[in-house]
Amino acid sequence: MSEPMTTPEPTASQPESTRTGPGRLLVAVYGLFALSASARAGVQIATKFQHAPVAYVLSAFAGVVYILATVTLTVGSRTARRIALISCSIELVGVLAVGTWSTADPASFPDATVWSGYGSGYGFVPLVLPVFGLLWLRYWSKRTRSQRPAEAASDGASNRAAADVVAAHDTGNGGSSSQNLRGNNVLRGNSGCSQHGFLPCWTLLPRKRRSPGSRRQQW
Amino acid sequence: MNGAMPTTIIVAGLALAGYALLMTALNHRMNVPLLAAVGVLEILLLVEVGLVVAKLADGGRPGSTGTLIGYLIATPLVPLVAVFWGLMERTRWGPAVIAVAGVVAAVLMLRLHQIWPAIHV
Repeated sequence: MSEPMTTPEPTASQPESTRTGPGRLLVAVYGLFALSASARAGVQIATKFQHAPVAYVLSAFAGVVYILATVTLTVGSRTARRIALISCSIELVGVLAVGTWSTADPASFPDATVWSGYGSGYGFVPLVLPVFGLLWLRYWSKRTRSQRPAEAASDGASNRAAADVVAAHDTGNGGSSSQNLRGNNVLRGNSGCSQHGFLPCWTLLPRKRRSPGSRRQQW
Repeated sequence: MNGAMPTTIIVAGLALAGYALLMTALNHRMNVPLLAAVGVLEILLLVEVGLVVAKLADGGRPGSTGTLIGYLIATPLVPLVAVFWGLMERTRWGPAVIAVAGVVAAVLMLRLHQIWPAIHV
């Protein structure tokens, strides 16, 4: 197979965001499932909800989770990655739980969901997808922990850049200590959440919650 | 299967997926031959959609017309969206997106003919 147009890529290059590199494929498959699961659930709920209400509601829920994962993996900011982590975890638990439930009690599922039989109707992709999603997010978590400056430069989220400036002003010493603290807060996935409670870490702007923390550190 | 057209599309979709996966394995980016192959698949899908629409216009009705129309709209969009998304990638993972589109095209043909088994196109 001759391919005069192709040029081999340097293998050392790293993906720039969660939607590039392997993430390109991941987002594509997530988008596919977001569309198929929610469209299917929409048609089923609209036309024959009474036939299998449990299955259709679960399909709709799965569709929402897939949409959430698709969007957050595309955005790729730290907050988005945290929501993506939650989405992928819900997916994995969902496909295992619904897979077991549908095997143990087929009577509850007169019609299949995306997650029935551990995703067997969809080539077991629903079972594999959250695993790869979680691995991808773990890669990013590790990488940002080890390469704080590079990630700050490449992430490109504007609120983040603005927040860095604010943090530097707050600490008055170039922001290096707050930088470390913030890195620890964010990059251990959920451990940052446990400090502030669960909700604020993704409903509020993360920077505002953390600046008191950096002052505490300094004093 | 249900006539020559869907069989052709399934073979073409899987062949495209194989070619694209090979490119991913060999660390190649998106290139013109791959885009041409996607173009062939897109034309085949449009012909298939045209044939099914002609059947619908003739008065034939499947069990669930709404689902069928959804498939008719979504099917030709799959390669287009994949090319758009894959061209944004400058690494081996661009062709991987095209591979997904090839498999999806084949699966959509199977599903289309499950929804309406009597198409015979």
